Formats: sequence, structure tokens, C-alpha cells
Amino acid sequence: MQRKENETPQGQAASVLVEFLEVAITAVVFLKGVYPSGAFERRRYMNVVVQRARHPQLRYYIHATVSGLLPFLQKGMVDRVAVVFFNTDNVPLEKFIFKLTVNQSYGSSVEGVDLQISLRSFLAKLSVSESLTKKLPPDCRWEITGNFQLLPETGTSKEANFWIPTDTKQWEQPLFITPIRSMSSDPLCLQFYIEHPSLSESSVL
Amino acid sequence: MDSRLSNSSSSTHHSNSKKRKKNATANNTNQKTLGVAWGSKSLSASSCSSRKSPFSDFSSYMAHKNCKLQNQFDSEASASAARKPIFSGVSIFVDGFTVPSSQELRGYMLKYDGRFENYFSRHCVTHIICSNLPDSKVKNIRAFSAGLPVVKPTWILDSIAANRLLSWVPYQLEQVASNQPKLSAFFTLKSSKMSEDTFTNALCQVEPDVQDSFPRVGQLKERHPSEVGEMVEVCRQISNESNDISSKKTDVFMMEEPIGERVICDEEKLAEANSSETNNERNTEGELDPTYQEPSTSFSIPCSDNQNVHQFPSSEATGSSKQCHSTLTDPNFVENYFKNSRLHFIGTWRQRYRKRFPTLSTGLNNGISNSNKSDIKSVILHVDMDCFFVSVVIRNKPALFDKPVAVCHSNNSKGTSEISSANYPARSYGIRAGMFVRDAKALCPHLVTFPYNFEAYEEAVSCDEAFLDFTDAMVEDPELLASSIRKEIYETTRCTASAGIGGNMLMARIATRTAKPNGQCYITPERVDDHLNQLPVDALPGIGYVLQEKLKKQSVNTCGQLRMISKNSLQKEYGMKTGEMLWNYSRGIDYRSVGIIQECKSIGADVNWGVRFRDMKDCEHFLINLCKEVSLRLQCCGVQGRTFTLKIKKRRKDADEPAKFMGCGDCENLSHSVTIPLATENVEILQRIVKQLLGCFYIDVKEIRGIGLHVSRLENADTSKQEKYTLKSWLTSGSASVEKQKYHMGHNKHNSDCANCASSHGCIHSQGSSFQIDNKILNIHVSGDPISTPPPLCQLDVEVIRNLPSEVFSELNEIYGGKLIDFIAKGKGKCESSSSLGNSLEDDATCKEEDLPYSDPIPLNQIFSENKAMQHERVLGSGHGSCSQVTHNSNIERDDLLPSSLSQIDASVLQQIPEDLKAVILEHLPAHRAQDFCSTPAICPGRINQDSVGVDTSKNCPGTVNHALNDSLWAGNLPSWMDKFKDSSCLRKLGEIYHRSGFNSQLSSVLPQFLSEFHHLDLTQEIYDETVNIMCELLKQYVKVKIERDIEEIYICFRLLKRFAVKSQFFSRVYNDIFPFLQAAVDDNYGGSLFMP
Repeated sequence: MQRKENETPQGQAASVLVEFLEVAITAVVFLKGVYPSGAFERRRYMNVVVQRARHPQLRYYIHATVSGLLPFLQKGMVDRVAVVFFNTDNVPLEKFIFKLTVNQSYGSSVEGVDLQISLRSFLAKLSVSESLTKKLPPDCRWEITGNFQLLPETGTSKEANFWIPTDTKQWEQPLFITPIRSMSSDPLCLQFYIEHPSLSESSVL
Repeated sequence: MDSRLSNSSSSTHHSNSKKRKKNATANNTNQKTLGVAWGSKSLSASSCSSRKSPFSDFSSYMAHKNCKLQNQFDSEASASAARKPIFSGVSIFVDGFTVPSSQELRGYMLKYDGRFENYFSRHCVTHIICSNLPDSKVKNIRAFSAGLPVVKPTWILDSIAANRLLSWVPYQLEQVASNQPKLSAFFTLKSSKMSEDTFTNALCQVEPDVQDSFPRVGQLKERHPSEVGEMVEVCRQISNESNDISSKKTDVFMMEEPIGERVICDEEKLAEANSSETNNERNTEGELDPTYQEPSTSFSIPCSDNQNVHQFPSSEATGSSKQCHSTLTDPNFVENYFKNSRLHFIGTWRQRYRKRFPTLSTGLNNGISNSNKSDIKSVILHVDMDCFFVSVVIRNKPALFDKPVAVCHSNNSKGTSEISSANYPARSYGIRAGMFVRDAKALCPHLVTFPYNFEAYEEAVSCDEAFLDFTDAMVEDPELLASSIRKEIYETTRCTASAGIGGNMLMARIATRTAKPNGQCYITPERVDDHLNQLPVDALPGIGYVLQEKLKKQSVNTCGQLRMISKNSLQKEYGMKTGEMLWNYSRGIDYRSVGIIQECKSIGADVNWGVRFRDMKDCEHFLINLCKEVSLRLQCCGVQGRTFTLKIKKRRKDADEPAKFMGCGDCENLSHSVTIPLATENVEILQRIVKQLLGCFYIDVKEIRGIGLHVSRLENADTSKQEKYTLKSWLTSGSASVEKQKYHMGHNKHNSDCANCASSHGCIHSQGSSFQIDNKILNIHVSGDPISTPPPLCQLDVEVIRNLPSEVFSELNEIYGGKLIDFIAKGKGKCESSSSLGNSLEDDATCKEEDLPYSDPIPLNQIFSENKAMQHERVLGSGHGSCSQVTHNSNIERDDLLPSSLSQIDASVLQQIPEDLKAVILEHLPAHRAQDFCSTPAICPGRINQDSVGVDTSKNCPGTVNHALNDSLWAGNLPSWMDKFKDSSCLRKLGEIYHRSGFNSQLSSVLPQFLSEFHHLDLTQEIYDETVNIMCELLKQYVKVKIERDIEEIYICFRLLKRFAVKSQFFSRVYNDIFPFLQAAVDDNYGGSLFMP
């Protein structure tokens, strides 16, 4: 939990955010029940009960993905991070979106505790948001996608190579948004919402 | 990350074991096997041992576990290099979520020699640490905490930062604090565990802390009425000698003359007998309005911390005062407040007295015909009861006669009450009024104390001093007279009195001072200078604490020194009046004459103590009671007032809790006033006015520390009652013959119309004046000549007749025997040429509607429908309100009234009017119109047209404002929409609620309240396009502001709106209007539309 003293506020926020995202994404995956509940164990993060993946690979996937986001988050390049659930045809059924804005011009230091409390409320809210989500068909898959404001040039850095374009199809119809939680503070502003395809599309599926 | 994970794994263990505990209690039939099961499952270090020895039962398991944990803790503690034993003796139990987490706290306790308990136990734990509690625990705090302090984790952090153990008291959890059973209990119980140091430390902090949270104080009081009662009394008193009330008064009202004129009944009779023509003492009508003297004016004597703290340890409930003393807890606060106030008792005695001797007081003024002419050497006698309050108490207890006795508010042996009066034996011990009983007892252990006995005071005497001017009485020896008066007083009341004789009231009073106790003194004019020379300045009436301090700074301690200063420099320093007073008094000059009755200039009530509000409701409730009190006082004095002033003490932003318990502390004084055209003492009108006034403040009720309501421009109620009476009689005759009334109305119209013809139509002023004229006519017709014959046809104005409501017309037609129809037919031709007439009629009609509520609201309603009796009251009220506003803000003369429609108002004038006034005006317009609207249509539907002009008001007002709407309504700290919304009667509420909730709060938190309140409005108000538009505009801009950064807020707002759209037409329109915009905005920002289930 100890942060380096010389970090920029954006850097501080980004590292807190990465940590948070890891937990939050796990929570989403747990919430959607993609894996049996036995695949998770209860842990405490920021003083709320959260789930942690027990399977090393799952844990690694989530951890590595969000850690890979870190340099881009610090630069404020990441527009949103999505947890996308899609069926076997690669058609997304539900997306959990974290829309981020990192204020690059913010100067003063970050109150870690304040940020934590705000982020904690996301986890708390998420844990009771199951009714807002759709029931997924069995046999569906999921992935973490990051929407970048501009595509990182591959080859420039190791982290950039890490990211690959997603195969997931896009919705053709307008989508519906169900906000779960918002936080607007400096330097980090975070919106967490669910996207669903419009009714017509979902009925087709 | 790693460190955290390991942390959480250990805490998981704890939670797991907790879970197991629950299981165990559920299945304690099967404890043994379960115990084994835990052992096998447990991952903790203790698991091996527990596996070996399954426990006989759960408690032994827990005991063992606790022991283990403790050992663990101890070993860890010894391992960690102990830096400083800050928390030595402290053992904490962390409940629920905290920042820092329980594990971190545990680390701190390890480091600083404290203890950390995993399981709560009454015996080991000294402090419970938590930052939030569920309601159920708060409600049953004792069951939860077992009386232990519940403290916020910051206590530990701050203690570490301070490197010493701080008092936990300021860190007490707010939720609990309000519920905390008994602070004193904590002290006694905990003191053994805490170091002495901490204990005193804690004590010192109790007081600020107590004041920290009002609810808690309130709760505390409920539980310990007696203690609190004392505190209350303590605070309520001003630390002055009760005998010398005048000096106290002057303390408080420096600029006012002293009010020391107290009269004893007996003395009065006596004096009457002795010198009937002098009519002496009743100069009582001194200076101040008596009701001004509120207990709470005690600004100066803050109780020291120490004193307050000592309130707590006392535990015995004497049950003397069961009521609680704060606006928060006591629904009858105002009433009790004044009931228990000594100063109030003193302040209002004059009225009681006057009532008792009504005949005497009326004859008074005549008796005093400039008796104080300078050429006559006047002689004034001042009689003052010796230690009056005590004397009354001990007059029936001769045994106590020469014992030290004091009167205080509470007889509590703990000595937490303040002495208000002490007799001379007691004074010789150095006991003074304003002292705490405790301190007094230290000075004089055998001091006997008594509580007040107001009834006895009233019964024995009204108050305890009097002036008697016997300049004209040709008494040879004033001293002889004085002694005979004193003797008689003693014989009648068995209380001793002292008398002073001097050339004027000032000298007489000073003489009395010298004479006390039970003696008399005559300061002849020759000896005045000698006497004054050594007199300390504070002995002069009118010099209070503050002034004395100022003088002291100039090293002026005696009157002799004061005399050295020139009048000019005194006046420069202290103001004209005070300077002159000082100059005069220091020379023994006092121009006041005995017995002048000064009419009360204003009557009111202030409460500046114990005023704490949680929300608007509390405040309104309080105001209602205050209004009742003031209304009672007005009735008591038999007067009615026209100007109403609401004074509010608002806590200064940076002000701490006042040193005085529940006092007002450092406050800004704000006031607003209105003047209404018709004097009143009616409670309901008062309440309405006060509510309006409160609205003018735009103040957070939580900041209010004191409220005063004063009524001035007093008029004698009798005369106004007579007016009323005639009005009433007029009414009754009116209702008896409605037809006639109607006729008069028509006639009246006719007349006023004629008047209007002369002036150019449309001018409000001329309408106002013309209305006065026809009002007179109306009265003449009604009162003087109820069966008057109709005016000849030729005098009738065709236009008027034609525009009359059909019923009225048909009636008039009947009166004229059907000729009216012909007349109109004829007139039509004529009238086309003079079209201006038509206009003037309309103007006239509207003018009448406006004017009526002011000049005589009742008749109009009565004319239209007699059964609207209740409404007339409301019309009256609104009339008042609006009139007063007009007088205040615009150049329209007072008799002019608000036009019924905004279209008649010059928009530019309206723009110039201050916002709050504008809001009130605009608010009144629809209300006023609504009244007319509901009272008129049944009988004269013709009027509706005109009324509908009035309906437009709220349409118009946003209309004028709408241009400014285009840009940022939400910018700034105080969003500009609040200003705009003031203009709209219904939306203004939103602004108010928003204001109340603090400006930074989000709309979603304000909306529910507004929606619920709006629901009521919605029923009565019509929906105007502009109102919808303005609301839409507001929401649109809110969406714009928030959409990018806080979509959740938008979502919540619109879910709320949608929910309300079902119930309210207004909101359904707003919702439908705004929804497309919202979706477009969401689409722009998020590439989708908001899902509204």
C-alpha cells in the first residue's frame, strides 16, 4: 500500500486504479457466474469483502491485463476498460465498462484514503447490482478490452505489444446503458456502467 | 500488494472464526464434534493445540482462543520494538469497517503498548473503535458497548501523531455520542484504567465535546433532567445581584436607562395614602419595553469550562425540572423557556402589575406634570427591598434570619447552580450573585440555599423597588417619611427595605446603595459631590461590564476620575447618548422624572439560548411557538403592531461552539422586517409573516443560534378593535342584504369609473387614489344609507353596466325596472366613440381587487360569497404581506397595492427590486389571485377573464427571466438558477431545499424532497408552460454539467423524475420534454442510450 513519494498524482491514481480494476474485474466475473463460485475465495480489499480468483491462470490473466494498462493509464491514454461477456459467436451480450478520465493537469497530491473510499463504493455497489445485469447463457466467454484514445504503436514499447485487437463483434444497434456508479474527483474520474444490446438485438440472439 | 494479501488472509481467519462462533451457538447441542471440526479446518497457528484437546464447550474454546490470541499479541508486541507506551492501559476492540483497517490499528496497538482485543469483552476492552454503526446498535448502544466509549479510529492516529494519549472524548462516534448514556459514568468507571493524566485531560475536553454535537446533548439531557436543568439555569442567569436588578439590566442594555422602578403593592397603597397627588411610584413605565428583557440577553457571562465539566459528575435526580432545554428536544421549548426565566419574570412584572391596578395606572400621567422643574428642589425617595428574593423566602423562617441564605435555581447539593440572590449575612462571606453554589459553599459551608418561588414573589410583592417623588408633597423631613414607609413595608411583608433619598432618581438610587442593608440614607444636594467622588463607576446605573472595562482602560475607576474627562471627549469615545449620560451621572445629574410612563415602543421575545435546529421543521415549529409567545405578550399589553422584525443570530462561520452551554456564542446578527398596513396581534398572521421573514434570510437553520421576534409600531388594540367592530357590523348588515351589496358594488364601480375617466387609464397611482374615494362611497352607502335609491340612469356608465357579471346585471336591471337593457342598447352607440372608457373599467376592476385585501378585505369576499369566511383570513394575510412588501421596496405609495397581474408592473422596476423582495412579490401574486379566483367564479363568472390575466403571473415572471437562462445556470458556488427560481412560486421551493442541503449536494439528493413537497403544490397550482420550460432548462444544464463525469447522478435524477412523472402532471411534462435531450446527450458521450426500466 505504500506509495513512492515522488510519484505524480496521476501515477498514484493510476496505480491505485490498477489495483482496484483487478479487484473489480474479478468481482464482475464472479458476479456473472462464469466460473463456479468455488473458483473464488473471499478476501478483504479496502476493507470490503471481495472475491479473488483461486485459479492461478485466471488470476494471472486479470492481473497481467490491468498491470499492462498501467503505463497507458498514467499517460491518460485509456478511454475505457471493458469486461465483455460474449457468446460462442463472439457476439457480446453484456459489457461492464469502466470509463476513465485522468486529469493530466492535476497538480496536488492524491489523498489515498479518499480515493479508496470512493473506489470502495464501486465494489459495494457492484456486489448488489446483480439484478441490473442479464442472465448469461451457459457457455459464454469473456474478455477484458481496453479502449484507447489512440492506438499505441506496436513495437514502441513492450507494454504496447501486450495488447492485441479484439475479435469481438460490435453491436449494430444502439445500445442501452445502465449506470452503476460514478466517481468524479481529481485527478481520477471514473464511470462504471453496464452496456446491453438493444432489445431487438437481444431478442434475436 | 503482498503485504495486504497476507493481512487480509489473517483477517479472513478472524471472520471465519466468527462465523464458526455463530454456528456454534446455533448448534450447541453438538458442540463437541463441532469443536473438532473447527480444529481440523482451522488454518491458524492455534489449530494444532485445539486439535489435541477438543473443548468441553464453546466458552472454554473461546477462553482458550482468546488466551492464545493474547499470547500471540504479546509475543508480537515484544518482538516489535516498543517506542513509547502511548496506549498503555488502553485495550481496543475494533468493530466493523474502519480507516485505517483493524489490522493497521492492531499494528499500532502492538507498537505503542496498547492491547487489541479480537473479541469483545466488557472486562478487557476499554475502548471500542469504529467509524460507523448500524442503527440497531446505535439504538441499543448499551447492549453493544456495555457502557464503554465508542471512539473513532482517528483517536488512535491522532494520539500517535501527538505522541501521547489524547482524550477520546472529542473522537467519540457522533452517532453514539447523541445516545451516550452518561458521561459521568464513563469517568468514574474508566478513571481507574486511564492514567490520571488522561482523566483530567478528558474532563477538560468534555465540555467542547459536549457542545460538539447537539443531538447528543439533547439526549443526555433527557436522561438527566436534573443536571441539565441546573446547567440550564446556570447558563440562563446573569451573574448579577438579583436585588439590584436595575444594575443587571443596565449591564445588558447599556444604552437604555435603568429600569429599576419596582413597586411593592403595599408600598403603593401606602404612598397613595400619604401623598395622593404625587401619584408617585408608577414611573414604572420606564424606558425599555419590558419584554425586551429576555433571559438570553446574558451575553456576557460565559461559564468557564471547568464549571461546565462539573455538571456531569453529579448524579442525583432531584426531579425538579423534568423538561429538557433545547429546541431540539423540547417541543414546548419557548413556553418553558420563559416560564423558567427569572429575568423574564422581572421583565414582565410591570404588565402583571398594571393589570392588577388598572385604574391607578391610567391616572398616572396626569399626576406627573413636569414635576421636575429645575427651580424646584426636588426630592426623590428610592425604596428598594433588601435582598428581595431571599427575604421573601426566609420571611416565614425566622430561624434563618441571621444565617447566610441564598436563592438559586436548583437546590442541588452538588453546587452546580448559580446564586441569584444572597442575604447580607451570606454576603459578608463574600458570596455574590452569579456565583456557583459550589463556590459559595466553599466560602460559607453552612449556607442555606432555596430555589426560586415565583408565586411567592408575585403574591408578596410585584417587584422590589420603587421611586417616589415627593417634591410637591411638602414633607418636612424626608427621612421621617422614608422610615415610616420602611416600617410599614416591614410590617406588611416581613421583608426589610432600604431607602435612599436624593435630588433625583440617580442620587436616590445611589443613596439606597449606601443605605443597604435595612437602612436609609439622604444625600442632600450639598453632599452629592463628596459622595460621588469616591463612587466606583460601575455603581452608576447604565454602566455595565463592557463600559466599565472601557473606562478602566482609560484608568477611570471612580466618578471623580470620570469627571475629569470633558463631555466632548466622552461623547466622542462612547457615543452621544452614553457620553452625555456618563458626564451627567458622574455629576449626579439626572433629568429623568419619576412616573413618566413611556409607551412601549416595541414588544417582542428573543430566545438566544438553547436554540438548535436540525431542519426546517424544527425551526418552523419553534417559530410558531415564538409567535404564540409574542402574540400573548401583545395581548397582555393590549396592543397590536404593524412592523414585525425577525432577528436571527447566525453562528459565525469560524465560530466554535460557544463556551456557554447551549449558548449562542459568536454570532452575526441579522434582521429583516416588514410592515403591514393593519395592526395585528393575531397568532396566525404573525406566523405567516414570520415564516416569510425567515425565508428572506436564506439561512441554514442549523446555523441559527438565536431568534427574536419584535413587533413595533404598536397601536392600541382597543381602538383597532373598535374599528373592527364597525367593520363587522357593517359586514353583518351587508350579508343581510346581499342584493343591496351587489347594487352598491355596481354603484361603486360606476363611481370609481367616473373617477378613472378623469385620469388616464392604466395608471396605478390614480387607480389607487380613486379607489380610496369609492371605498368611502361604499362605506357611506352601506353604513349610512342601506336603502339608498339607485342613481338615475343617466348617471350610469354604459360600459360599466355592460361589463357587469350577468347576475349582477340582472339584479341591477330589476332595480331599474328593466330600463337598464334599453339604456345599454342606447349606450352602445355612444360608447364606441369613447373606447378609453372600456379600458378604464377593466383597470378599475382589477384595481379594486388588488386594493380590497388591503383596505378592507372582508367585505369583498363577503359580497361574493358569505361562506368564504375562512378565506378572508387568508386574503387578509396575503394582503398584508404584499402590502408590506410594496411599502418596502417600490416607490408606489403605500396605499397602492400589487396589481393582480404582472403585466401591469413595469418590468424594469421589477428588475430593480432586490431579489428577495421580488420573490415575495411574485409569490404573492399568484396566491392573491388564487384567492380571488376561488371566491369569485360562483357568483360573477364575468370576472374570470380578469382573473385569468392574473393567472399569467407566474407565466410572465419566468418569461422575463428566461432570456438570461441560456448560459450556465449551474456555474458558481451558488448556482445562478437559484436566483431565477425565486421568481417562480413552486420552483422556488427547489431553490430553498437546495439551499438547505448545502450547495454542494447533488440534485439527486435534493430532488426527492422537492418532489414530495412539490406534490402538494402540484395539487393547487396550475402548470404553466414557462415553469415546465424553466425546469427543463435547469435539468438540461444539469445534464450538460454532469453527463461527462457523473452519469450515475444523471441516472438517479431521471429515475426519480420518471417515478414522479407517474404522479405529477408537471413532472410528466418535464420528463417528456427533457428525455430526448437526455438520450442524445448520453449518446454523444457514451454511444448509447440510458436504459430506463
